[in-house]
This record gives sequence, C-alpha cells and structure tokens, in this order.
Amino acid sequence: MSPARRPLEGIRVADLTAMWAGPYATMVLADFGADVIKVEAPRAWDNLRTLIRPPLALGEHWWNSNAYFQEYNRNKRSLTLDLTTERGKEIFGRLVAQSDVVIENFRADVMERLGIGPDWLREQREDIIVVGMASFGKTGPDASAMAYGPVVEQLSGLASLTGYGDGIPFKTGVSYGDPVAGVAAAAAVVTALIQRRRTGRGQVIDLAQREPMTTLIGEAFMEWAMNGRLMPHRGNESATMAPHNAYPCAGEDEWVAIAVGSDEEWAGLCSAMGEPGLIDDARFATAPARLDHREELDPIVAAWTATVSKDEAFERCRTRGVPAGPVWTIPEVLGDAHLEQRGYYEDAEHAEVGTWAMHGWLWRTTDAGPCVLAPAPDLGSHNREILGGLLGVSDEEMDTLAASGVIGDTPIGERTRSEIVGSRR
Amino acid sequence: MTTADADGAPEAGPLEGVRVLDLAQGIAGPYAAKWLGSLGADVVKVEPPAGDPARLAGPFPGDESDPEASGLYLYLNTSKRGITLDLESEEGRGLLRDLAARADIVIESFAPGYLAGRGLDYEALRSQNPGLVLVSITPFGQSGPYAGTPAEEITLFALSGHMWLTGDPYRPPLKNGGSQPSYQAGLNALAAAIIAHFGSLMTGEGTHVDLSAQETLAGMLELYGPFASQAGIKPRRRGNTVSAIYGTYQCADGYAGVYCLPRNYENMARAVGIPELLEPPFIDADERLRSNDMLEALLSGWFFQHSGREIFEMGKSHRFPAGYVATVEDLLESEQLRERHFFAEDDHPLAGPVRFPGHLWLSSEYAWDTRRAPTLGEHTADVLTELGVSDERREQLRAGGALGGSDGS
Repeated sequence: MSPARRPLEGIRVADLTAMWAGPYATMVLADFGADVIKVEAPRAWDNLRTLIRPPLALGEHWWNSNAYFQEYNRNKRSLTLDLTTERGKEIFGRLVAQSDVVIENFRADVMERLGIGPDWLREQREDIIVVGMASFGKTGPDASAMAYGPVVEQLSGLASLTGYGDGIPFKTGVSYGDPVAGVAAAAAVVTALIQRRRTGRGQVIDLAQREPMTTLIGEAFMEWAMNGRLMPHRGNESATMAPHNAYPCAGEDEWVAIAVGSDEEWAGLCSAMGEPGLIDDARFATAPARLDHREELDPIVAAWTATVSKDEAFERCRTRGVPAGPVWTIPEVLGDAHLEQRGYYEDAEHAEVGTWAMHGWLWRTTDAGPCVLAPAPDLGSHNREILGGLLGVSDEEMDTLAASGVIGDTPIGERTRSEIVGSRR
Repeated sequence: MTTADADGAPEAGPLEGVRVLDLAQGIAGPYAAKWLGSLGADVVKVEPPAGDPARLAGPFPGDESDPEASGLYLYLNTSKRGITLDLESEEGRGLLRDLAARADIVIESFAPGYLAGRGLDYEALRSQNPGLVLVSITPFGQSGPYAGTPAEEITLFALSGHMWLTGDPYRPPLKNGGSQPSYQAGLNALAAAIIAHFGSLMTGEGTHVDLSAQETLAGMLELYGPFASQAGIKPRRRGNTVSAIYGTYQCADGYAGVYCLPRNYENMARAVGIPELLEPPFIDADERLRSNDMLEALLSGWFFQHSGREIFEMGKSHRFPAGYVATVEDLLESEQLRERHFFAEDDHPLAGPVRFPGHLWLSSEYAWDTRRAPTLGEHTADVLTELGVSDERREQLRAGGALGGSDGS
C-alpha cells in the first residue's frame, strides 16, 4: 500500500526561524507534508548549524552535516537570501506572495527593523498567516527581553517546581521550553489554516514561548488559588504514591524509576523483589500506609534494586504490571527495544557523514510511511530551483547575487572542519 | 468567561463547527481537548459513571476531597460539555457510536485494545464516518513490546532519556516538576488532532493517530540525542550550570539565571560592570572556558547583590538572556502576563475564585474562550437530546445503567 497523502501537502511555509524552538515548529510542519523553505543568509545563517563546533560536529562542511542541525531541519528546503539588502528583501516578497505561512522566532523587534513586519507581509500576500515566536511575546513591558530555553523555563514557573527538596531549583536537562513552543506554534499555524479555509482571511499569531510552557503546570496555579500554597519540590517523590523514586541498580550510576500506586501494583512489586511476605506487612498494606512509611520502604526497594541490573528490574516489574522504567542513558534510548520495534528511529544520510539514526514521527498516523524523506538541506542547496523555478530570477542574476553575498552556499567567515581541527593541533 | 470583541459580540473561534469527543481521562487527552474547546470546537467530554480519576487528584480547596472541586480536573476540562456513559453496557456503546458518527475528532487514552474489545476501534468508528480523526494517547503507543505496560510520569521521564539528563551530577537523576510527560503528550495530541483534522478537510479521509508519550519525549533530546546517534557522544546530567555564562545562580532574593551564547557575552559583561570581564582571558570564548571557575566566582558575587527581577531587567536593557526562577505567585503578579490577558478567571461555585493559564498564543483573528469545567454528567440530557434521544428513552437508558448517575437535569 502506498503511503497516505501527508495532510499539509500543498502548504508552503517561508521559514525564518533559527535555533531550536522555531525549527522544531517547522520540523513538525515539514514532517506532515508542508513545503518548508528555510531562509537564511550567507552572513546570518541558522546558528544551530554552528552552535556545537568541531571536533564534535562531523563532516567537512559541518554546518550542513552535524546531527543537531540535521535532526530538526529534515524534510525542509534551503534558500539563502540576505534580507538586509533591498534586492534580497524584494525577492523575499515574491516568496511570501507564493507562501501560506511566514514564521520567525526572532527577538520581538527584529521583523519590523528589517522592514518585513506584518503590514509589509500582507502587502505581499493578503491572506498570509504570520507567526512570531518571541520569548515573551510581541507586546507588553517585557517584550524586548531575550531568552533561550532555560530562561523560558525559569520564567514559566516550571523551574520553581523542580528540585531535590532542599530549596535549590533545577532546570530540565534539555532546553525544555523550545520544543514546547515549537509544537504549540505548529498547532497555531494549522488552526489558522483551518480558519482561513472558512473565512478567506490570514492572521497574525503572537506566540510567547513562555506562555505554552506555563500551561503545563496548571495544577500549581490551582493550588495557589485554592490554598494559597506554592507546590513544593518533591525530588523524585510523589504526594500520593510510595514507593516512587529512582533506585540505584547494580553498577555505577545505574538507576531504575519505580512508581507504585495501587495495592495490586504493590503486590506485583513484592513479587518482583522476591519478597512475597511483605504483602502482609501492615506498614505497607495500603497506599496511605505506604506514604506514611516511605522512609522505611525506600531502603527496602533500594536493597533489592542494588542486586539487579536496571534492565532486569524493569523486566521483573513490567511483567508484573508495576510501573517502572530504567533511567536510560541517551545511547540506551537510541537502542530501546520497544522504540526499535515501532520503527521510531529512521536512517538519515548525508554524503559527508554517511548514515545515522534520527527520530522519525512524533506521532504515527494510518499508512504514514517513513517520516524522513530528505536530510536537512545544505546551506543554499535549493537556491537554484526556488529562485529560478518559483521566483523567476534569471541564472545571470543569481550569479550577481552570489557575487555580492545576497545568496550563497557557505557561511561567510566560518571555517571548514579540517581547518578548525588542524588549527588545534 | 466568554471573551467578546469590542462590540460585545462573541467572535467565532477558529474551530467553530468542529465536533470533538473527549473520551480521555487524566491529563494528556483532556489537556488537548480543552484547548480545542477554547478555540471554538464543540467538545463533549464523555466520562464513565464514576467520573474521570482526575476528579480525585486535587488540589482541593482546604484539602477537602471533592470530585466537583478538583483543581486538576477544573483546569483540564474547561470549555467542554460533560456527559456520562457506561461503555461496559451495550446501550452506552451504542450511544458512543452515534456520537462518533457525528464527530470530527475523537480523543481517547484507554489501554491499547480496550476500544477494539468493545467494537469501538477506529475501523468500526470510521465505517460510518470516513472523515473521522481518532487520536489515541498512551504511554508507549498501540504496538510494540511495551504497549499496554503501565506507566507513571517518573517512569516515562526515565525511559525517554530526560531523567538521565536532569539533576545534579553528584546526586541521583531527577524528575522535573509536575506531570510533564503527560502534559507533553497532551500538547502533541493537540497538534496531532488539528493537523489530522486539516488533512481530513482537504481529502475527506480521516486517520488514526497513535501517539506515544515516550516517543514525543524522545523526540526532544536537544543536541544530546542527535550527537549520541551520529558522533557516539555519551552525555550525562550537568545540573544547572553548563558553563559560567550558561547557568543558575543564587541571587539576593532567590535564584536567577544567565544563559548566554558566546555572542551574548559582551552585552552581559557590560551589564555586570566588572571591567576585567571585558579583558583577557574572559573576552575570548575559548580562553573564557579555560578560566570558567574564576568567571563563575566573579559572577556569583554579582548575582548575590541583585534581585532576580533586577537581573532580568538588566538582561532586557543590555540585551542578553537572563531570567529568574519565578513562582506561580510571581507569574500571577506579572505585568507582562496581565497585559497579554494570559490568565483566565473563574469564580467557581465550589472551588471559589481561581486564575489559571488561559491561552497558548494570541491571534489577530480570535480570542480564546474559557468556560468552566462541567460537573459530572451536567450535559447528558442536552447532548442526548441533540442526538434525537427522547426524554422517555433517556430515562430508560438511565434506569438500565447506560448513563450512570445524575445528569443534573
């Protein structure tokens, strides 16, 4: 059976986003079939291309081939265009005229400073959908503040809820605010497409990255409203479940997370631990009793987990209906048997680095086929087909534009991998 | 709480006319469905007679458990109508089939196989409604060896790699706050539902979305997943501080952070105002890393002299990324969020006045509509009447147990 038509086929996105939040949004749109044209400039490329430098970043033209950039920019096309030049801006206007969506995650004032704010964009195409993803939004006294994911996390309230219980707040390992804003922005775009289909009108979306993040801690607002209390740091403990923790396993820095709510799960854990007699222990007989005695309970569970591998602890729990999860390292996530069997990782290929695995569908749909149809584009690699084919720029003019750096296929001022690695010897 | 435009007339939401059935319970599905309701869809939440377990989760006013006053439930079920149906009864299943025949989107979070076991799988539902989108949300998806395995927030956080990356390097891996894996699945389910519905509008063909919380989380491993895969890098948790200019510090009134890329450094250094920061070794990005401890010590002293808000304001005026660890109380008092009308308000009959996040983004074309969450079975009579079920028939169904308890009529 041939793969189903992708839902966003026929939708064109002029993508000015950079780093992680914005490109995550357009990754979702591209995966689901939109023609995402990533617009960068030879002097102002997506910083994600060069944020992690060689030797970690692989490939001679590492700004094209490194995995961080590749993962979130697959299925897109690349056009370079210097928007600070008159000609670049004029050609961009032609692209906008043939696009459904323009999306950016610049600081709040950048689009207006470039002279390509919503009014200008609507002049190019009346029903254009414009999405801005400034950290705190385009309006209000904090609009001019800039932030990356960890600051967004701090100012969303989530960091205030994360910690071991000694008062020190912690950030989530990744720049958690970025993909949250990205998925929300993808939803905003398609909501606007649905509305445009009915009304014929475009719209301007002002997505403050901090705001969708803040919706992910709703119960903390309710606790404040209802009881005037801030939710405490609970470490790995739960207000309602015990055992509920990361327990050390055999080996160094090996852990398994176990969470027991019901009495059935508790019975399952007793069996998994080979301690059937514990079921009769009155201290642990009910969920409230287990919570009251969690300080006695945790060492009992930890004494067992210390004797087994995290894989074995997981298997023994899983087969008995006990919620558990090994604290996978990152290579272990990539090798997770379940993800493997579901075909979660797909092969990506780039001439400079060969084949490696990247995550595919964020969610699966009927007869979807493979997610990754093309690796992330080399800088400017679609200039000719887009400028010539779509925007009516002659070959001759393309040469002129290349000579003046309005377009190009190399980040101006950046060095190749061998130049960088060589200079460190 | 319905928002209105300047003339006082309610604006049409972007999803006006879209019909949604929310069969899900807990956090993820209800979160997705709540926003569809705020965007103008007609969302009917179908609860089992005993109610969504989120009703038992709290927080509760005065810590008094009450299924009509659970803060979690009230937050996650705004802008929906609520009915009760017993899917264990043939008549309850028949009503669900009738509702699904008229729906555009159905969201569910049962264990894999639950609906199929009751003749309500996607093929059965779409046979009378080919454009139907079914969004199934589970911890591990509908297939594969872990399908059906029970999970909790902490176990999903562990199985997706995020727990390994979160926390102090000298202490155990740490779960982040709240219920992030479920919320994350819910946010992705929202996007999935909207994208699939758009596809259905374009082609007339619906689809079955198989959403796994583990997979949505594993797709957001920043640089760590990609570099482990391509270059064999094995990252480990690094706490709050990756380098002196990318970390959290104690400040005069709590904790604040500066998370700068090299290109932001000079702006930060000017704001801090210690002249040596603009000289060697600190002025060069590579040298700076070699003098990281010295830089961290200098910055620690500076942070300690300023409040979090002052540091944030300096980031604003000097253009570098700085923030502070805000509590929900800080956010409720934020002028920025007030000006953007971020919070929805409700004076709930049982829960009292509450304020909570009311939108995901702002649009020039619509406002978000927040209506209080339904009491258990509040709209059963209304919804059944719309289905063409007579009052008499409804009472028979109730007597037969298909509807569970009171419908509030």
